[in-house]
Amino acid sequence: MTTARYRAATDVGGTFTDLVAFETTATGALRVVTAKSDTTPPNFEQGVLDVLNKAGVDPHDIGFLAHGTTVVINALTERKGVKVGLITTKGFRDTLEIARGNRPDFFNLNYVKPVPFVPRYLRAELAGRMDYHGHELEKLDLSALPAILDGFRAEGVEAIAVCFLHSYANTAHEAAAVAEIARLWPDVSVVASHQITREWREYERTNTAVLSAYVQPVAARYLGKLDAGLKDGGFEGSLFIMQSNCGVDSVEATSRIPITMVESGPASGFWGAAELGRRIGEPNILALDIGGTTAKCSLIENGQVRIMTDYWIERDRTSAGYPIMVPVVDLVEIGNGGGSIASVDEFGKLRVGPQSAGAVPGPASYGRGGVKATTTDANLWLGRINRDYFCGGTVKADMKAVETALTALGEKMGRGPDEAAQGIIRIANNNMVNALKLVSLNRGFDPRDFTLLAFGGGGAMHAVALGHELGVKKVVIPHAASVFSAWGMMMSDLRRDFFVTRLVPLSSGTAAQALETLFEGVEDEARAQFETEGVDSAKVTFHRYGKFRYQNQEHTTEVPMTGAITEAGLQAITEAFHGIYEREYTYRLSAPVELVGIHVVASAEVGKLELVAHPLSTEPASSAEKGKRMVDYALEGRHEATIYDGDRLDPGMVLSGPAIIEDSGTTVVIHPGNTVSMDAYRNLHITLGA
Amino acid sequence: MSNQSALHIDPITEEIIQNSLQAIADEMFAAMRKTAMSSIIYEVLDMGTGIMDAKGELASSGAGIPAFVGVLDKAVKVVLDKFTAPGDIMPGDVFATNDPYYGGVTHLNDIVVAMPVFADGRLIAWTANIAHNSDVGGMAPGSLSGNATEIFQEGLRLPAIKIIAEGKPIAPVMDIIRVNSRMPDILEGDLWAAIASVRIGASRLEGLALKYGVSTFERAVASFMDHGEAISKKALAHLPKGTFTLSEEQDDGRIFNAIVTITDTDFIVDLRNNPDQSPNPVNTSRDGVMVAAQLIFKTLTDPYSPANGGTFRPITLLTREGSVFHAEEPAPIGFYYEIELRVYDLMWRCLAPHMPDKLAAGHFGSVCGTFIGGTHPDTGRQYTIVEPQIGGWGASMERDGNSAMFCGFHGETYNCPAEINEARNGVFVDQMALNLEPGGEGRNTGGRGIVMDYRLRADNGFLTAGYTRSKFPAWGVDGGQDGSPNYIEFRPKNGTPQRYAFVSGLVTNKDDVIRVVTGNGGGLGKAQERDRALVERDIRNGLITRERARDVYGA
Repeated sequence: MTTARYRAATDVGGTFTDLVAFETTATGALRVVTAKSDTTPPNFEQGVLDVLNKAGVDPHDIGFLAHGTTVVINALTERKGVKVGLITTKGFRDTLEIARGNRPDFFNLNYVKPVPFVPRYLRAELAGRMDYHGHELEKLDLSALPAILDGFRAEGVEAIAVCFLHSYANTAHEAAAVAEIARLWPDVSVVASHQITREWREYERTNTAVLSAYVQPVAARYLGKLDAGLKDGGFEGSLFIMQSNCGVDSVEATSRIPITMVESGPASGFWGAAELGRRIGEPNILALDIGGTTAKCSLIENGQVRIMTDYWIERDRTSAGYPIMVPVVDLVEIGNGGGSIASVDEFGKLRVGPQSAGAVPGPASYGRGGVKATTTDANLWLGRINRDYFCGGTVKADMKAVETALTALGEKMGRGPDEAAQGIIRIANNNMVNALKLVSLNRGFDPRDFTLLAFGGGGAMHAVALGHELGVKKVVIPHAASVFSAWGMMMSDLRRDFFVTRLVPLSSGTAAQALETLFEGVEDEARAQFETEGVDSAKVTFHRYGKFRYQNQEHTTEVPMTGAITEAGLQAITEAFHGIYEREYTYRLSAPVELVGIHVVASAEVGKLELVAHPLSTEPASSAEKGKRMVDYALEGRHEATIYDGDRLDPGMVLSGPAIIEDSGTTVVIHPGNTVSMDAYRNLHITLGA
Repeated sequence: MSNQSALHIDPITEEIIQNSLQAIADEMFAAMRKTAMSSIIYEVLDMGTGIMDAKGELASSGAGIPAFVGVLDKAVKVVLDKFTAPGDIMPGDVFATNDPYYGGVTHLNDIVVAMPVFADGRLIAWTANIAHNSDVGGMAPGSLSGNATEIFQEGLRLPAIKIIAEGKPIAPVMDIIRVNSRMPDILEGDLWAAIASVRIGASRLEGLALKYGVSTFERAVASFMDHGEAISKKALAHLPKGTFTLSEEQDDGRIFNAIVTITDTDFIVDLRNNPDQSPNPVNTSRDGVMVAAQLIFKTLTDPYSPANGGTFRPITLLTREGSVFHAEEPAPIGFYYEIELRVYDLMWRCLAPHMPDKLAAGHFGSVCGTFIGGTHPDTGRQYTIVEPQIGGWGASMERDGNSAMFCGFHGETYNCPAEINEARNGVFVDQMALNLEPGGEGRNTGGRGIVMDYRLRADNGFLTAGYTRSKFPAWGVDGGQDGSPNYIEFRPKNGTPQRYAFVSGLVTNKDDVIRVVTGNGGGLGKAQERDRALVERDIRNGLITRERARDVYGA
């Protein structure tokens, strides 16, 4: 038995630094330790050491530490990165400012276009051209570079982004420019677009390189201090950084290209959902994470998360935002969480979110001066959340404030507080159902083939109602649902996603050979990268995907490509494409099919938390009963529900609704007609009944 | 949930149905975008989706081009007028029109596809889709030609016809559509994308109606439109009242006149005093002008709430049959969109002095539709670039105008990346830069247009384009300078550059350069009053030379 008995996840947020540690005890049982302490800018490592200390976890006892941080997204949204200079192809200096010309807020003639992260005077051009095949049309002329760099120095530039036209097809010009910059100005931070993405669309790729350069020095400083601080504190295990593609990566790799962390927050929960689904025999999952301000959902098919590269920040109905072409788990996020504020507009329409009461003042029930009704307040008022055990008994629910807030809201609709609360729940549920449809029905998947897995602070409260609405097979609430994302982090692999644009018509007869060469090239590169970082390349596994479309289309359908690529195999894949396409879009064409690019997932296991099955109890669930109370189920009316103590329920126990299962972190709302059983890993399986 | 018989359905259910209408229109839009074959559809998003009630009134519209928001209801109404016999409209049917004289509103390239939605055995709604098709036949590649003198020369006319009967495509009709296009595969792919979109919408709507009950569904739709009207009426009350007029000379010498009257309850646009229809394709249908009026009305009232049939009830439009704004068959209408845009701009300019907080100085104000075609030198296949251009917007009271945005008729529209353009079309894009020509100076400056160079890689291609605001650029206000013109500069490899606003079927050859130049927006306020720090910033950014800054700003 080594001393490394903990696997831990730390998450640094704007206000709090959270810890979830999984301790494997001497008997092999798993104990979950959680703690929270203040975030300590600018010495964030201090907050991490503080929270470990508070939980009584000695850094020396941690074998694996996964770290999630909002440092990148915060630096971007708060504009706290460094001054960036951009070097690009002659004739394309203004691409970053021209962007795509779109205006989502289209009836508003006073639209304000997003301001580029690099002003025009810091955008320089070099002559040299590739074509879309990657053939050189004009040699790269580096003679202007010294003067450009002198200009950047004089302006106080700290990081340089390089993006040339068609670098996705041939990286040579970018690589040469980066090498020359490193020679002329060794101290400056520099990144080329191809180091982050090998996909086409020059504006998106340029912006991605610029944003990565913008945050690189900030993120590298952060990670360097974290690494050093933990080592000083006695930590000798492996530190991994959570990424947006559901994997983790090394401190070294992340420091070099930190932009891959940008949407790491939600990724671990969805990875956890896929991982848990595989273990409990549910490969097809609709995963839903409801937090304080937003709800996020993602679809998992055959145990696989979907990874995409069309991610944008600050994009909404009123702004075009900024694209970041990095692998991000495919998710839909809406402004509906426990703290979402309900309001009635001047025409009497009830809305929930996207404004949130936040931590301060918080929902009315927190008694901290919040006067607006939120989803949490409605859940309390309807008896769904236990008013005498609010936030695990740590907060005394201010029901007077809830009543005042709901009454005021109801008056605007000519209704009482009960109907106002029911309305909030129904509208919030409808918003979430629409989001879940976006990731399922809109992409050609039938929710009836899926299991809804809900987690986060609010997931279990709404899951059954949403499951009914969508007609899912069943609903699963994982063990320790409120810290499920941290569990997901424990299960992550070291993972990198490579996307490369390459046009290959499948009818050419040489397609298989060309593709095999392309895949092998990317895989060799990935292996070499891992090796320089001390990862044994024999442990790296690859998954291959092709992005297909009918000739002339733009949007592609991703199809797995297992094993070596052969002409016969391509035939089969073409057939599979027609099928997948028809399922999603109702028709198929006889048009030629072409491949537009490839996606390679390279992953290496870094050791996973072992799940231990508990013996099944023969006791009835009634042994965990703690009472009864009236619960308003909105559409299904008021029922007397049996209340269960979640901590006292044991594997194998079965119960039926109407019921509420509550523990310190989670409230599970069980509707009339539902049947619930706890599996050997303490997950709750809810069948919805007729 | 059971059907509710109460007179008032519960407001939350109503709200949920209304939210779902929006979500379904958006889903239809997403389906079309992902399956289309023309970049004009999937990238430029020159398309729209919508849901109509059983009578053809607009219930909800999806994203895309605002100029398409008010089109689909007009098409469905024509189908309803034409197919009146029992059995004419059945579940699974799909109809199509592209003819402005048969509810198509715009021009022949835009095919509207509409599908009736049935639940409990009765017609409860329509789903519809409009998109620009790259080639529908006619006298010129891309179907648009400035030389057309009759609509017959502008492509195949689909006068509100059935193309799918009870789920089964009507093969002869499909064959006729295909064979009339120079790009049959792409037309077919785009048409099927449109069909997929209306089918997906119809199936969702049927599910929605069955779930809540057909009568509940219908009441929710009706009340949604009343809600739209209530929002418009309320906003109308806050607009300045009166009758406002404007006459404006156009690039081609015609004088266009607008009279806009705003009362507490009505928004009346009188366009009767305008020239007769033209023998050239610079006319528009009355429906098209109505769309322009709806656009400006929506902007002035409430740009954020959903647009539906109720929203536009306060509008009254007066036009004269046989005039440029109410063309009669068989007048050609290929470049209708520039004419619609002129009307839109006319109303904007007419009202701007009276609502300076809502309306900025003029923008480059043209779709700048550019059609470039030929043979892809690497694949040997035909290509057609059909694209609107981005340009400079006008200065407002608060700030400088935006640079390089699509015109007011477009919205969630994306320009084509040079990398994709080069691969797909086999051309070179030598530059894509901000337009540094003078124009738009003021206390707040107009945004910049663009300069884009297409260098052609093959012989025997063509160029067609129709730009307005080429002679009279975007208007400045309050002492601000006018913007700069939109034009095409054709730079043949051998020969002298030629400048065009309208050009049809110009033959192009290898290494010729087509330079697209779009205008800067109008300025606002006197240039001498501009903040010195902003002038210095512009100099530093290379947008203006120090010498010129001294001349213009006195800096």
